[in-house]
Amino acid sequence: MHETDIHDLSDDADYAAASQQGSSSMTRTDSSKQSSSGDPEDSEIVYLKDNVTIHPTQYAAERISGRLKLIKQGSSLFMTWIPYKGQSSNARLSDKNLYTIRALPFSDIQSIRRHTPTIGWQYVIVVSSGLAFPPLYFYSGGVREFLAIIKQHVLIVRSSEDANLFLVNNFQDPLQRTLSSLELPGSLANRTPLSSGTPSDGSLENKHTSEDGHLRSIQRNNKQRQKSHDPARDISIQVLEKFSLVTRFARETTSQLFREGLVDGHGPNEKKRSNWASKDHQSQGMASNDMEIVPKKVPVPSDPLEFDKLSLVWGQPRQHPLGFQEWSTFLDTEGRVVDPTALKKRIFYGGVDHNLRKEVWAFLLGYYSYDSTYAEREYFVSVKKSEYETIKNQWQSISPEQAKRFTKFRERKGLIDKDVVRTDRSLTFYEGDDNPNVRVMHDILLTYSFYNFDLGYCQGMSDLLSPILFIMKDESEAFWCFVSLLERLGPNFNRDQSGMHSQLFALSKLVELLDSPLHNYFKQNDCLNYFFCFRWILIQFKREFEYEKTMRLWEVLWTHYPSEHLHLYMCIAILKRHRAKIMGEQMDFDTLLKFINELSGQIDLDPIIRDAEALCVCAGENGAASIPPGTPPSLPIEDSSIYYQQDEEVL
Amino acid sequence: MSYAYLFKYIIIGDTGVGKSCLLLQFTDKRFQPVHDLTIGVEFGARMITIDNKPIKLQIWDTAGQESFRSITRSYYRGAAGALLVYDITRRETFNHLASWLEDARQHANANMTIMLIGNKCDLAHRRAVSTEEGEQFAKEHGLIFMEASAKTAQNVEEAFINTAGTIYKKIQDGVFDVSNESYGIKVGYGGIPGPSGGRDGSTSQAGGCCS
Ligand SMILES: Nc1nc2c(ncn2[C@@H]2O[C@H](COP(=O)(O)OP(=O)(O)O)[C@@H](O)[C@H]2O)c(=O)[nH]1
Ligand SMILES: [Mg+2]
Repeated sequence: MHETDIHDLSDDADYAAASQQGSSSMTRTDSSKQSSSGDPEDSEIVYLKDNVTIHPTQYAAERISGRLKLIKQGSSLFMTWIPYKGQSSNARLSDKNLYTIRALPFSDIQSIRRHTPTIGWQYVIVVSSGLAFPPLYFYSGGVREFLAIIKQHVLIVRSSEDANLFLVNNFQDPLQRTLSSLELPGSLANRTPLSSGTPSDGSLENKHTSEDGHLRSIQRNNKQRQKSHDPARDISIQVLEKFSLVTRFARETTSQLFREGLVDGHGPNEKKRSNWASKDHQSQGMASNDMEIVPKKVPVPSDPLEFDKLSLVWGQPRQHPLGFQEWSTFLDTEGRVVDPTALKKRIFYGGVDHNLRKEVWAFLLGYYSYDSTYAEREYFVSVKKSEYETIKNQWQSISPEQAKRFTKFRERKGLIDKDVVRTDRSLTFYEGDDNPNVRVMHDILLTYSFYNFDLGYCQGMSDLLSPILFIMKDESEAFWCFVSLLERLGPNFNRDQSGMHSQLFALSKLVELLDSPLHNYFKQNDCLNYFFCFRWILIQFKREFEYEKTMRLWEVLWTHYPSEHLHLYMCIAILKRHRAKIMGEQMDFDTLLKFINELSGQIDLDPIIRDAEALCVCAGENGAASIPPGTPPSLPIEDSSIYYQQDEEVL
Repeated sequence: MSYAYLFKYIIIGDTGVGKSCLLLQFTDKRFQPVHDLTIGVEFGARMITIDNKPIKLQIWDTAGQESFRSITRSYYRGAAGALLVYDITRRETFNHLASWLEDARQHANANMTIMLIGNKCDLAHRRAVSTEEGEQFAKEHGLIFMEASAKTAQNVEEAFINTAGTIYKKIQDGVFDVSNESYGIKVGYGGIPGPSGGRDGSTSQAGGCCS
């Protein structure tokens, strides 16, 4: 996702690139004819970029990808963006046509604003005749070349107030022009869309029903200028159509961005202010003097993602939990789950109705297989029950005499005895003296320590078992579901803490990717071990949320959609929410640990899941690549591959 | 709340010896047998008065299981005082003291004041470690020693406050450079850095003399 230029935001990077560009490899010269109306003769493609994408709604998942081209004809430059045909996308077909940019002459373009978030994709917003096109996201990079090529062919000027704003055809006072163009989208937001019924004939003078005289005069100026130097101006374009059809979202996005831009334009302090971007700060209003707003705090580097959040809401809204009726639609007549992926996705976005958990968790945890039938499961459960009893019997048959000579057993039993009476005892299900469920929890844990003697028992396991037993209500089934869960989370309890360390390591890599200022802060303050996230990861946030919310979160995590490591993105989502405070107050390791501990019970689950999903989507393949293979809760790497590696080393 | 000094304490020792109960008894003056086991670390705080000066104790209550030792080690940094706890009814918790001490010596600053506590002394009938053994161990390793009960609150105030008194005396004696926070001491408002008047480090609050 990150191109090298993403880090290079020095002001003249694009200019420098432009002068070096010449007719380099990036400049495509295949002179294929355009099929759109008004086919320009002798046209030459000077720039071509695939995977340039529009998001028709605020959800990142909905997207239309296409090919962006710059076409030169005579002395004129045109921009086209054609969506791919028949590509799977959540967007409707009509949307595709709607957004198509067939041939937009640069003589009509007022400005191009470049956005280079350090996470997510770079995008540009093209403003033409006072109206903005939806943001074009460059999924494969290439914004720099795009601007560089334009610079070779038309006169573009970088705004003196905003290094990311490029003014096209600007022959007048740049400042005046900047302010004018910035005002336009703001007023657009309040304006009813132009009639979408009949596309006009393409004459700009007729296009605008706006009463805004200022706007008109600029456009007329444009037009006249255009007439005088653009021989290809009769090319039919559908700018108007585009303007009237941009969705509300796209319009709001652009106007929001430009309002932000307007603030940008107001003074040289702006850069500094944006570094202060924080929730505290925003909620206190935009005063001009930062030092007065947050007196004791130091400046906080802005969150790369936060800064960009106006553009897209990445995480999807949460849905209601999966209920009985809907659940039955996922099953065939014999009880097989027809489409496990769809089921997991559904659960990811809404969780499971409480009364349905017993059944569904067994699938999510991997105790039931999705392609089993009702009958098969019934049989399976009975087989597993006797298997459980067999293992349980192994420790139950240890006599007191035998136990005397079996220190390891006594130690384990002692630990478990002590811990089950210290696990969720305030819940009705586990409360009171001689509670039978506490007894069952004890038996399951001790049986597990025989089933997996190498791992044994470790503190934290009872926290993981508690909700499972609470839901399953059955000893054997709770045991086997717990076994399934520990297939993935067992390494959390390795004696050498290797499973925890690998997750904390992956977490630090992800923070580095998704919030490098925060990463640097942790680095400078000796917090890179991420021990402050230890409890979150060890027991999957069990101590951070109330019981019901924990169960909701767990079933969401167990879907492994959109990542097996969503819990790490959860950590980042929470940290990001508090990054301004953490850095602003210059928390050291101790303070941070205490601060994080005290977040317990203060975290709002749904927004964090959405943020986590968003972070995961944004991180994309780079995120996945930051997490070493085999990092829990991924299943351990096959032993065979380890042997293989060892063999190789020997050879 | 303003304080003259803030002392960081850490409570260590095997799991189940009553660390969390001691903390709760000290901060909330109650014994709650039904509480969750400690994962990672938990925090408590209380103000005390020594030599008429308000002192804030910030107490770190750690998880005791062997597997978590490596995490616990990162908590020692900057602790001014430590309560090393064993359970008088469980011999093995006493046997493990040496390894706890080793951790503390290795990862805490050398001037950390360590108080050895034999907890659950209300369970005298189940005693597995004699008071003399506790005293002996403390003497050998230069620790302050007390038997206590988180259940009956016996000696709980004293344990925390005597430790603070010892730390305070070290400040008065100039053992610490209090401007260096790695000693686990922060100077608050009204705190007088460095050795100054009032060499009397005795406690002025609660419990008076210990048993
Ligand atoms: N009788 C008695 N029981 C105690 C005392 N302190 C703690 N306990 C019990 O010992 C168990 C473990 O206590 P806890 O504070 O959780 O131990 P930790 O693991 O060291 O934090 C709990 O069930 C308490 O009820 C005490 O002074 N007397
Ligand atoms: Mg505890």
